[in-house]
Amino acid sequence: MSPKDKRQLAREHLEAAQGAVVDERVNDAVNALFYAAEAAVVALADQHDIDTQRHHGFKADAATELNEKGLLSEDYGPILRMLNQARKDIWYEGEEPELGGGLGDVLAEVEDLVQAAEASE
Amino acid sequence: MSALSAQVSDAGWTRRTRADKSRAERYQTPEQRAITATVLRRAIDLGASGFALTGSTARRRRTPISDLDYHVIGKRPDVTDLPGDVDVVATSAARFRSRLIEGDDFSQWTLRFGCILHDTGPMREGVRLIVERDLWPDAQRKLDSLSVHRAEVDRLIQMGDQSAAQEQLRAMLTTAARGLLLGAEAFPLARKELPAQLERLGFEALAQALDGMIDATPQLDELEAALRVLDGTLATSSALSHA
Repeated sequence: MSPKDKRQLAREHLEAAQGAVVDERVNDAVNALFYAAEAAVVALADQHDIDTQRHHGFKADAATELNEKGLLSEDYGPILRMLNQARKDIWYEGEEPELGGGLGDVLAEVEDLVQAAEASE
Repeated sequence: MSALSAQVSDAGWTRRTRADKSRAERYQTPEQRAITATVLRRAIDLGASGFALTGSTARRRRTPISDLDYHVIGKRPDVTDLPGDVDVVATSAARFRSRLIEGDDFSQWTLRFGCILHDTGPMREGVRLIVERDLWPDAQRKLDSLSVHRAEVDRLIQMGDQSAAQEQLRAMLTTAARGLLLGAEAFPLARKELPAQLERLGFEALAQALDGMIDATPQLDELEAALRVLDGTLATSSALSHA
């Protein structure tokens, strides 16, 4: 099976996140938002030869670099790091995630990021 | 428990914290030490009463996917501007104490293996609690959480997101390994050390599956195979515990 396109994955994760936010399934929403945001950043980074490797930190750094190069209008590095921390709190520690702002605000930011990745295709 | 017992006295605690600082110094690169110093300073500025370097760095078992992990007793400092993957678990002193009593393994891990770099009391109190009450983490708590992990792994495999499914499955296998080890009265060490610990207890297939999630990039069908290994291991383990 060939790997799925990152933009398509970003869109599918985003749709899963939108459903989870509506249903108030916070943990599912955090995970889906994180994977949507990462897939969108990797799609853009690959397109512009920016290294993301396996480490989540590199993907957050890539999001910042995309902004510095004018390829993204906002720096999504901090939101990627925040979502990464939130999902680790959930899956490894069994703790409630700490989200900067409400889930709706985070969703809106990730929607913009996924749309930016789709628009750049 | 004897190592912890020796830390309860004033002299024992002083020896422990001195040794931890030396260990943290030796186990980190200069760049990691700089990040740790920044996170520690920010935590103390926010009034932290405890701070420990934890995870694979504290065990000198870092892998290419390792974070820099910290356990803060107090408010979580902002680390979003720092390079690399920095993971901060933050709990209040009261919550830290109650988590120890409830059988949380991560809090005990911090006290057993973490490098304690700052403590005004709660971490030493935690060690005293473990010793005096003979606390051992609750293995079943770990195993009970696997069904939620399972649903998410299944969703990600169905979606065809290999990297996300691998990430989620790695978390699931790590949780399962920790639960099985705790149930066998072996305290789980860093993730990279879990396969060897599992092998020593006879869980060879699960050990191999977990190792593959850390060092390799398995295909989706291999992720499904690893899930079946986990199912088989848990079924056998459950049958043995009921026998």
